[in-house]
Amino acid sequence: MSKGFSILVDTSKCTACRGCQIACKQWNGLPATQTKNWGNYQNPQDLSAVTWKLVRMADGTNGHGKVYWNFFSDQCRHCLSPGCMAVSENGEIKQDEKTGAVLFTPKTKDLDYQATLEGCPYNIPRQDPKTKRLFKCTMCFDRITNNEIPACVKSCPTGALVFGERDKIVEIAKNRAAELKKTYPTAAALNADDVRVIYVVKDDPTKYYEFAAGK
Amino acid sequence: MDLTRREFILLSGAAGAGVALSSLGLDLGPLRAYAEELKIDKIKSAKNTTSICPYCSVSCGLIVSTDTKAGKIINIEGDPDHPINEGALCAKGASVFQTTANNPNRLTKVLYRAPFSDKWEEKPWDWAITEIAKRAKATRDADFIEKNSKGQIVNRVETIAHLGSSNIDNEECWTLNAMMRSLGVVYLDHQARV
Amino acid sequence: MTNHWIDLKNSDCLLIMGSNAAENHPISMKWVMRAKENGGKIISVDPRFTRTSAVADFYAPLRSGTDIAFLGGMINYIIEKNKYFNDYVVNYTNASYIVGDKFDFNDGLFSGYDPKTRKYDASKWAFKLNDKGVPEADPTLKNPSCVFQLLKKHYSRYPVEKVSEITGTPVADLNKVYEMFSSTGVKDKAGSVLYALGWTHHTFGTQNIRASAIIQLLLGNIGIAGGGINALRGQPNVQGSTDGCLLFHLIPGYLKVPRTSQQSLDSYVKGNTPTTGEPQSANWWQNYPKYTVSLLKSFYGDKCSKENDYGYAWLPKCDDGATYSWFDMCDVMYQGKIKGMFVFSQNPAGSHPNTNKVVKALSNLDWLVHTNIFNNETASFWHGPGLDPKKIKTEVFLLPAACSVEKEGSLSNSGRLAQWRYKAVDAPGDAISDGDMVARLVLKLKELYQKEGGKCPEPILNLQWDYVDEKGRYDSHKVAKGVNGYFLKDVTVKDPSGKDVEFKKGDLVPAFGFLQADGSTSCGNWLYCASYTKAGNMMARRGKEDPTGLGLYSNWAWCWPVNRRIIYNRASCDPAGVPWNPKRALLKWEGDKWVGDVPDGPWPPMSDKKKGKLPFIMKPDGRAFLYGPGLVDGPFPEQYEPVESPLKKNPMSKQMNNPAIKFFKSDMDKIASADPRFPFVCSTNGLAEHWCSGAFTRWQPWLLEAQPELFVEISPQLAKEIGVKNGDRVKVASVRGEVECVAMVTPRIRPFKITGKVVHQVAMPYAFGWLIPKSDRNNSTNLLTPAVGDANTMCPEYKGFMVNVTKV
Repeated sequence: MSKGFSILVDTSKCTACRGCQIACKQWNGLPATQTKNWGNYQNPQDLSAVTWKLVRMADGTNGHGKVYWNFFSDQCRHCLSPGCMAVSENGEIKQDEKTGAVLFTPKTKDLDYQATLEGCPYNIPRQDPKTKRLFKCTMCFDRITNNEIPACVKSCPTGALVFGERDKIVEIAKNRAAELKKTYPTAAALNADDVRVIYVVKDDPTKYYEFAAGK
Repeated sequence: MDLTRREFILLSGAAGAGVALSSLGLDLGPLRAYAEELKIDKIKSAKNTTSICPYCSVSCGLIVSTDTKAGKIINIEGDPDHPINEGALCAKGASVFQTTANNPNRLTKVLYRAPFSDKWEEKPWDWAITEIAKRAKATRDADFIEKNSKGQIVNRVETIAHLGSSNIDNEECWTLNAMMRSLGVVYLDHQARV
Repeated sequence: MTNHWIDLKNSDCLLIMGSNAAENHPISMKWVMRAKENGGKIISVDPRFTRTSAVADFYAPLRSGTDIAFLGGMINYIIEKNKYFNDYVVNYTNASYIVGDKFDFNDGLFSGYDPKTRKYDASKWAFKLNDKGVPEADPTLKNPSCVFQLLKKHYSRYPVEKVSEITGTPVADLNKVYEMFSSTGVKDKAGSVLYALGWTHHTFGTQNIRASAIIQLLLGNIGIAGGGINALRGQPNVQGSTDGCLLFHLIPGYLKVPRTSQQSLDSYVKGNTPTTGEPQSANWWQNYPKYTVSLLKSFYGDKCSKENDYGYAWLPKCDDGATYSWFDMCDVMYQGKIKGMFVFSQNPAGSHPNTNKVVKALSNLDWLVHTNIFNNETASFWHGPGLDPKKIKTEVFLLPAACSVEKEGSLSNSGRLAQWRYKAVDAPGDAISDGDMVARLVLKLKELYQKEGGKCPEPILNLQWDYVDEKGRYDSHKVAKGVNGYFLKDVTVKDPSGKDVEFKKGDLVPAFGFLQADGSTSCGNWLYCASYTKAGNMMARRGKEDPTGLGLYSNWAWCWPVNRRIIYNRASCDPAGVPWNPKRALLKWEGDKWVGDVPDGPWPPMSDKKKGKLPFIMKPDGRAFLYGPGLVDGPFPEQYEPVESPLKKNPMSKQMNNPAIKFFKSDMDKIASADPRFPFVCSTNGLAEHWCSGAFTRWQPWLLEAQPELFVEISPQLAKEIGVKNGDRVKVASVRGEVECVAMVTPRIRPFKITGKVVHQVAMPYAFGWLIPKSDRNNSTNLLTPAVGDANTMCPEYKGFMVNVTKV
């Protein structure tokens, strides 16, 4: 396997403008779903076959009564050893050699969805209820193989999303986590050595999202 | 990698669960029209036009890609050369595509609602321009005040009002202003005051 | 903005107050976060903990409508702790001026107030002038009648404990914000203020901004890179449409609307052209006659000349002192006195206060013309919830408009940057640009008046209208050139250096310094003179050079005035023209010329006693106003309660509300202040996913999916009190109307302790309605809001009115 690409998601720089969430829909031609306000800005409520990128928004108070509002631009981690592929015996899920992108082919309709989902530590794969096909982020495979960065990364104003060669992104992520640690002792680059989409967080990952650091 | 081109076209273009939202009166069907050819390839041969985002007044740069054969906009994203946004866009900016003809909710005909009617009627432009001008003239001619009670020249009409707009171009604002002042309109305002 | 978006990166401390930049101007955060990466600090002051607060270095809550108390406390802190930038204050502001002995302030009221007319006689606040007509001054700032001492006295009434009682902000938080921001009151630090509708949407909105101006002047933060007072404006071309003055009180270029008492052009320009005895003042507005005559020439061309007073009589005259704002318009419409109305791309039935009254007013019209790209609650008001179309007479013409990428033209952003955008495709169906609609309407009006005659036909028949191409279509380039201005005859004029330059009839005017008052030039808006010249369309430029590294990008598009990216930039240097902060040098006087940004005028710095000029060139005396006698509601900002308040008494004085605001008296203009039926403070806000009333964005599935319906944010404490859980449906009611929506229970909202009592605050977006998503109830938050406005601008008080919240 080549070194491939990686995406840094530096949540400390995210303002939840949700440009990435919509840019993903725009580029990939994904339709909207009917939603309702469920007492949170985050919408749609969850990833789906037509929502591959979702800014999760979690608020609360920490020990000192200080309020936080954490933003977590959730998407497939494009794992180095993808758990979802454990059930893929006939090429339903592919891992691209050059880029490292993990791709769901149309054949995923034949997979056991629950088993695939359980194989993913990050709760990513979603099934189209009609066609039974599975969907998730493609790392904008079409763009990155044509010298364009992923649509979500391009839309990000603050540098919360950065795309690049894996080595460099891992280094940036780890350095950023180390820098944040000076102010926020709990800061971390989540599973940086196992995933291609590396999240840097300031606080306990579960304060962002239940599966932020994996199941 | 052995994913075939055909497979990838399917993978990228046909996600569409396409939840029917008739209850909202919206057509949310998947954008399948270009699934036969990769969007990225289409964009390479598209006409690119620069524009400025139509929402807040940060005024981010956009690149609009138009399929010249079909005369349709196929993609809008941030202009990486623009010094303010450097290619970035927020949720609204990233959604400008849905303000274009790609959105079936756009108004495409002059609509007229007659007094006490409960419906819209489609009308041609010439009719609309003539009828509007006639009404503006009739109201103006009936109520125009040349002089006030003290004999001072005021040349105004107080029974026609105007609102808008912070959402049209500078040049359009200028012509609109010239028209309203010429009519003698004094009740004149726009979004700057809300 | 005095500065511009990219310049935010140069700031050492950004006070984001009255703005939720991350929500409403998301891409601004690119530059805010860049400042943070460079070591700058972000302060967020807001009733709610917002998306901006989430990335701020420090967050402080305050009760809606108490910004003047908060800022007044900061002014007091800066003066008491000696944090002000003395050289800047003495040289560049009116701190040293002596105020006349008729000025007084007593228990919330300034001198000169007449309770019957609710107006001040501002002449009571005038400076004491010397025999040359220049204010007397004491540069030691010790004279008890000088501005500085009066300022000190006024804000000594705002100690931090008192401020905390009013704002509900903990004392420690106030001190922290004051300390952080006032640390920029030194030569090598820059502090920036970012505000938006959170400051303007009050009955004392202008004074909120004045208070910040006082702070920025005390700290020496105006005119410098990374500083300024930055209004984050909310609509794509609200800056341009304001410059173009689609406003009752102004005509293009911020020239005042002619008033009835100004019967001749001479009396109009005399009444508006300021004079000064200060030899070092540039007094830029002395050019008023040039800009006025050039504007008239652009309206009426050859049909106006000196002989007919340049057609001045044809401009409508507004009665002296009368206002014709949206509020007045809606009120007379409600009374049935307006017959016809044009609404170009605006949705008053969603975005204006007291929606029930707005809808009633619209149904009193004979005819309504509306242009837009989507249908909305204004065009469709006649079949809104609870209305019977068969009882509504209003004829409605709904005209389909081209959207932004289907036409060509310029728009001006908050940083005064005018950028050209191009047409990508034809508009769908019969849709055409608003410009095309206006062009056709004017040609039709001319035809009708030509054929039939009519009342006062001259302004219509004589309106110069060569803005269409050979096919009869609107041509934005022709308008842009006309706005820039032409020479109308062959002339030789002196350039700023005094050299003779020849121009031919038909040449574009290179800059407003060349405009004339003798009819030899035309110009549709003097501020935009230099935007479209012999060198081409300056607004379409795409140069990326940035030699200073400050992000000025002087070759990218074009900004007014004359491509100056930071206004009042001569104040970034000391009186000898040496930059206060050489590390962020915006300008530098190099013996015979300024180097850097386009300077605020070519003159030497003020230390040159012969030719030098003061930096605040738009002020008659060249100095910035710490003391501002030009506003209708007082020369110093003073804390008043919003018209609807949770308090029975203003903790600061006997004067409860801004004494100079206008009240409307119709049966639908109800107010309920300190009324137990409506115990909670409510403030409205924008959303990143919607634009204003949502008239565009609710039609876009991706955005509607992300923010689908109306909600109210309430604190867990209030939720407990009223028995509401997160996600429950609630009714929110004011004395004017009610809506149903989802309760969002969140710790991001907290109760305030105000004068010892708990006050709850709630917040609602105003991006929803009834047309889309279709609803049989109107979900416009503006059903709740009061139609009262700022004393100076008449901007509505959306930020601070009283409601009740109950479970459905």
